[in-house]
Amino acid sequence: MRKTFGILLLTLLSISGAHAQESAQLLFDQANSLLEENDYPEAMSMYRSIEQTGVVSGALYLNMGIASTQLDSMGLAKYYFMKSLNFQTTNASASEALEYVESQFSRQSAQLPKLPWDRAVDWLKNGPGSGIVFLIGFSFITIAVSIVLLKWAALFSFSKLPAVVTTLSSFGLLIILLSFYVDYIDLRYSEAVIITSEIQVKQSANEASDLVSLGYEGYAITVDHTTSKTTDGWLYIRLGNGQFGWIEHQGIKIL
Amino acid sequence: MIKTGKHIRIISALLLSLFLISGAQAQDITVNASLTETNFFSGEGVRLDVKVSGQSINSIDRPDIPNTDGLRWLSGSTSTSQNFTYVNGRPSVSYTYGYQFIAQAPGTYTFPPLEVTVNGETYTTNEISFKVLDPKTIDTGQAERSPDIYVRLEPTKERPVVGEQVIADIVLYFKNSVEVSSYQASPGWKAEGFWKEELENRQQARTTSTIINGVRYQRAVLLQYALFPTKSGELTLSPFEVVVQIRQRNQRRDIFSFGLGQERKELATLPVTIDVASLPELDNATFSGGVGNFSITRSINPTKAYVGESVEVVTTITGQGNIPLIVKPEYEYPETLELYNPQENSTITRSNRQIGGTKIFTDILIARNEGSFEIPESRLAYFSPAQGRYNTITLPALVLEAERDPRATSITDTELRFNVEPITGLASWVSNEEVPLSQQKWVWLLLGLPLLILGGAFGFKTYHDKMNSDTAFARSQKAKEKALDELQKAEGQTDLKVGYNHIQKALSQLISDKLNLPLAGLSIQQLSEALKEKSGTEIADEVKRILDKCDTIAYAPNASIEGMESDIKKARELIKQINKVV
Repeated sequence: MRKTFGILLLTLLSISGAHAQESAQLLFDQANSLLEENDYPEAMSMYRSIEQTGVVSGALYLNMGIASTQLDSMGLAKYYFMKSLNFQTTNASASEALEYVESQFSRQSAQLPKLPWDRAVDWLKNGPGSGIVFLIGFSFITIAVSIVLLKWAALFSFSKLPAVVTTLSSFGLLIILLSFYVDYIDLRYSEAVIITSEIQVKQSANEASDLVSLGYEGYAITVDHTTSKTTDGWLYIRLGNGQFGWIEHQGIKIL
Repeated sequence: MIKTGKHIRIISALLLSLFLISGAQAQDITVNASLTETNFFSGEGVRLDVKVSGQSINSIDRPDIPNTDGLRWLSGSTSTSQNFTYVNGRPSVSYTYGYQFIAQAPGTYTFPPLEVTVNGETYTTNEISFKVLDPKTIDTGQAERSPDIYVRLEPTKERPVVGEQVIADIVLYFKNSVEVSSYQASPGWKAEGFWKEELENRQQARTTSTIINGVRYQRAVLLQYALFPTKSGELTLSPFEVVVQIRQRNQRRDIFSFGLGQERKELATLPVTIDVASLPELDNATFSGGVGNFSITRSINPTKAYVGESVEVVTTITGQGNIPLIVKPEYEYPETLELYNPQENSTITRSNRQIGGTKIFTDILIARNEGSFEIPESRLAYFSPAQGRYNTITLPALVLEAERDPRATSITDTELRFNVEPITGLASWVSNEEVPLSQQKWVWLLLGLPLLILGGAFGFKTYHDKMNSDTAFARSQKAKEKALDELQKAEGQTDLKVGYNHIQKALSQLISDKLNLPLAGLSIQQLSEALKEKSGTEIADEVKRILDKCDTIAYAPNASIEGMESDIKKARELIKQINKVV
């Protein structure tokens, strides 16, 4: 009885998931037709409705970027091309499009190079992801546990077994800790793109506060969600040149 | 030949001009009457001034002074003065006739209108109310204690709402014995909690006479400020400081005093508290911040534009009130219209003790794509203190038609090198929902799994090692199983002796194994005693009873199969109990 119910539930879930993908594909085809007819606002509206269904694709973001480019909304185009960059199928096209979009901004932001450690964390976050890193760490621990079990069962033994087990388990634990750190960084910080012509970066979360800098359309910024939670309606950000400040929660798109 | 028609026309024009001039002259003449004081004591002197002014005065018939209740005319002291001025580039003359009176019985009276004939036409003055006070009511001590000169800050309203205009007069009071030659306001007066604007003030303050607590003072409004409270609650206006140069009229002058008896005096007003009420709640409209009386309009210019061309949405707010405190209205613009640097501009007027003017907000928009775009209607409200409510003005929707500039398109086409083609086929869809690693259950399950496996394996290994190395532990662990196996043999036995022998063996073996006693050579008494120490009397006695029965079964006359089965059952229960407690 229980088994039958489980099978039924799984079938229903897979049907609903497949249905969502089917409707997304259907809407995607309709939106593409509008894009080909140069009806960019309507196409954009339809692409957005697909995004709201909860399923996305590299092609969706790439086409949204193209529609935004045609609507002359370059900040928004940059945002969608950056989203599209994370998908293997559209990575090359998104890179090419981003190069073009970057050339269209009248003001370019200086970008400080990231530290090697930050680059490594970014690579882990955007490449394998924290889940895969965790599984790698878990595999090391599993091997260490298996060796211990075999030793206890007197099926397997060698002279440097304790050292090997200690090394494997320590290494596994470190990798697991790294996966949680990557997860923490992913939760705390987000990349964002300015999509309005200009935003004011203030020294504190207050309209009357001193101006730190101005951010222009297309500038890539980093949002610190943990610090931003302390003040409603304001975001704590880091500009590309390393300056920190507060902006009002509008005029940007968080990746 | 004489052209008579032309002469007639010239004469007619001259006559018409003369008629018009004489009519204008008649209209230019004004006649006013005023008393130098309107509140004075019985016995005090007061003068009635009749002023006739105009651009061309040929003859004036002086008015007849009627008998007036409360006043007695001193007929021999009439004065006349004449004054010439230029008004709008034209000469003007005024004649002032002064009539001296002595105040009589205390009371409230009215001076009747006077008839004055100027250039043959009769003009009538207004009647004047005045009050004759009783000198007995003067508190001499209080009059002496009252200061010769002081300054007061007099607001026109005690309880305005936030943003409502309040006029604050800086008024100088001085006795008749004091002559004020000049005054200077100290700069830097701060009206905290208010936005303040100085009104147009006269170069020379005009004085009027007033009686305060029985003492006659001259009252002069030195300065006027329009104040607009920016918050609610009790707001205090700080003292306003004025420096005056004065001279005592009846003071004996030192013949060597070259300063002509002048004295410099620093005066300050008392702090004045104004209780500012908050504005009421507003529904279904956006408050512009305006308090007063305004007209609000909104326009778009041009209504048709090329893509990329700038368009202005202008909001104009005109009227009287707190113009500088009005905030920019926020409109919902379609996404395709991009808003650039909004601008604001304001002009302020200060006439008739009222701040007003115009504030213009300009939003510069640029259409990023062609099409027809509607800026939805907006409801803006301002608060009218006179009506005590909000007035809401609905700004109608605006439409902008944007089209592509044909020249711009061709240029863009050549400049664009955007070669990325959209993907229009099947796409690979993934879920957009990302659950953080720390919130995924499988992560914590996997983290616990190695610990569980290791713990279980370690327990099993320890048990296994003990079973192999510790005989007593091994006997104890296997005791129940062996006892039950032995008891199994007793079941189904038809030979009572053999059956009871198995029961005895099962129980004796269980106790020996559990208590690590020798397998043979122990009496029932010894087994029972050993068991009693571990399990208590009840179980030990029951075991002893069954073992005794097993030992004596051969001599038991009433033994039966049913009795043995019952004992087997009891023995099984005892084995379980002993296994549990030992």
